[in-house]
Amino acid sequence: MSSAESQLPWTAPFDARYPNMNQTKHCYKSYIDFHRCQKLRGEDYEPCQYFKKTYTSLCPNEWVSKWDTQRAEGTYPCKI
Amino acid sequence: MVPTWSSFGLQNSASPSMEQLTFFHDFTMVVITLITVTVGLNMFLICSCLLTNRLLLQEQVVEIVWTVIPVFILLSIALPSLKALYLLDDPFTPSLTIKAVGHQWYWSYEYSDFPGIEFDSYMLPESDSLSIARLLETDNSLIVPSFSQIRVLITGSDVIHSWAVPSLGVKADAVPGRLNQVMLYVNRSGVFYGQCSEICGANHSFMPIKLEAVPMAYFIKWALKSS
Amino acid sequence: MSLHSNHPYHLVEKSPWPLIASVSALMMVAGLVKWFHDFKVSLFLFGVVSILLVSAQWWRDTVREAAFQGLHTLKVAQGMRWGMVLFIVSELLFFFSFFWAYFHSSLSPTSEIGAQWPPASINGFNPFQIPLLNTAILLASGVTVTWAHHAILENEHSQSVQGLLATVLLGGYFTFLQAFEYSESAFSIGDSVYGATFFVATGFHGLHVIIGSTFLCVNLWRLVQGHFSSAHHNGVEAAIWYWHFVDVVWLFLYVSIYWWGY
Repeated sequence: MSSAESQLPWTAPFDARYPNMNQTKHCYKSYIDFHRCQKLRGEDYEPCQYFKKTYTSLCPNEWVSKWDTQRAEGTYPCKI
Repeated sequence: MVPTWSSFGLQNSASPSMEQLTFFHDFTMVVITLITVTVGLNMFLICSCLLTNRLLLQEQVVEIVWTVIPVFILLSIALPSLKALYLLDDPFTPSLTIKAVGHQWYWSYEYSDFPGIEFDSYMLPESDSLSIARLLETDNSLIVPSFSQIRVLITGSDVIHSWAVPSLGVKADAVPGRLNQVMLYVNRSGVFYGQCSEICGANHSFMPIKLEAVPMAYFIKWALKSS
Repeated sequence: MSLHSNHPYHLVEKSPWPLIASVSALMMVAGLVKWFHDFKVSLFLFGVVSILLVSAQWWRDTVREAAFQGLHTLKVAQGMRWGMVLFIVSELLFFFSFFWAYFHSSLSPTSEIGAQWPPASINGFNPFQIPLLNTAILLASGVTVTWAHHAILENEHSQSVQGLLATVLLGGYFTFLQAFEYSESAFSIGDSVYGATFFVATGFHGLHVIIGSTFLCVNLWRLVQGHFSSAHHNGVEAAIWYWHFVDVVWLFLYVSIYWWGY
């Protein structure tokens, strides 16, 4: 079974900071972490991709596109 | 697993969570049956007995006995109930994440681990030739690999819905602005049905959940084809 | 109405006020809805003025029945007191719902407001400036109103007038400071759930301060007119209860919304 599962792409693992059923902040903080990481280390810094993959795994696409628009318009409710 | 006519019990379980729930249900039914029979018998005896004890004013021993014994009966129900509750909530390391979004009135699913698998799942009309189970079939089903640990993240886009599949023992509210996580492990391949379980408007009854569990190899094939 | 009845109850006479009050309340609410939907405010204002006129006249009649006709027997007065207690309890529940809304939104802030409280880019009031002064003012008014109450019980007329006057003035000062603070606000009722819960909760409290001050004012006038005795002064007692209720609500507002939520 593990060999079959290894064919699956990567998904966001269990994170001990978010042990509960409510995963809203897991998604929300990963999104912020990615953009802060990029701002700090530049767009080519490979380790930032971890946060991107995490929030892509977790956040509904509708949320991500809304937040992207808000960041572009400068109305995103958190400092990156 | 199609729910059939005149089935009294729970649907057959297809996941470890549901096995726990079924066990708890059966156990509790035993307790309830014992209590019902005992109380019913006593009521029948009291009603049918013509004798009256005029001098009986109090009986402390029986008061204590019928207070203390129920305490232990309730404890014996509470402990397995808590065990089942914590097992349902137990998070594991998922190998796949699926997002289920409730809309008025359909579900949409996102497999963001694969590039670009995202689709809506509408109910098939009864007239459709593919419709076997009335009001439960969908045009696009949720495809999951069996024997894998799957994380389902549930949210709503307009009002509160609720994503539920009884035979897998999962049910969680789809609340706008919130992500609810349920852990899914389907231990056999097959088709499983569920319905929106939070009244969400006019077509609440017509946004079913149809889940197809397939072996991993088929799932990978499907996912690669769809992405 | 005969003074020689065989029961202690007050059988009220015909009065136009219940009907007119109901119609006015309907106009006020309908006018409010109309106003919310961007129509003219006129119907709402008409309803408010009408309510105010009815209230003044209805309570004028009640004062006449109590002070001049002697219809408020011990039994009737007891009923009045229970009525006031239940009214204040219902008002407490009214504010309870605002606190519920406030804590619902602030204890688990959504991502739309930056998952923080106060929400992103909301600059709340510093709780240790005007709000703290307001707390002191209301606590002081609680002291003066108790002074007035005891003075009434001790038949100290001039002291009771002074105490009540001081309370009314403190109430007015509180209202003035709240109005000033509102005019200085950096956010509006439309600024996220913070603005909504803040202004709805503190705004309704402010309205209750104004109502309580008016209630005390009327009773100050009645006190000067000599309507009260040390044994029978239900009106002023009800006003005092109401004032304490307004005071307690403020303490909760201050501690949870202004201070904890800063």
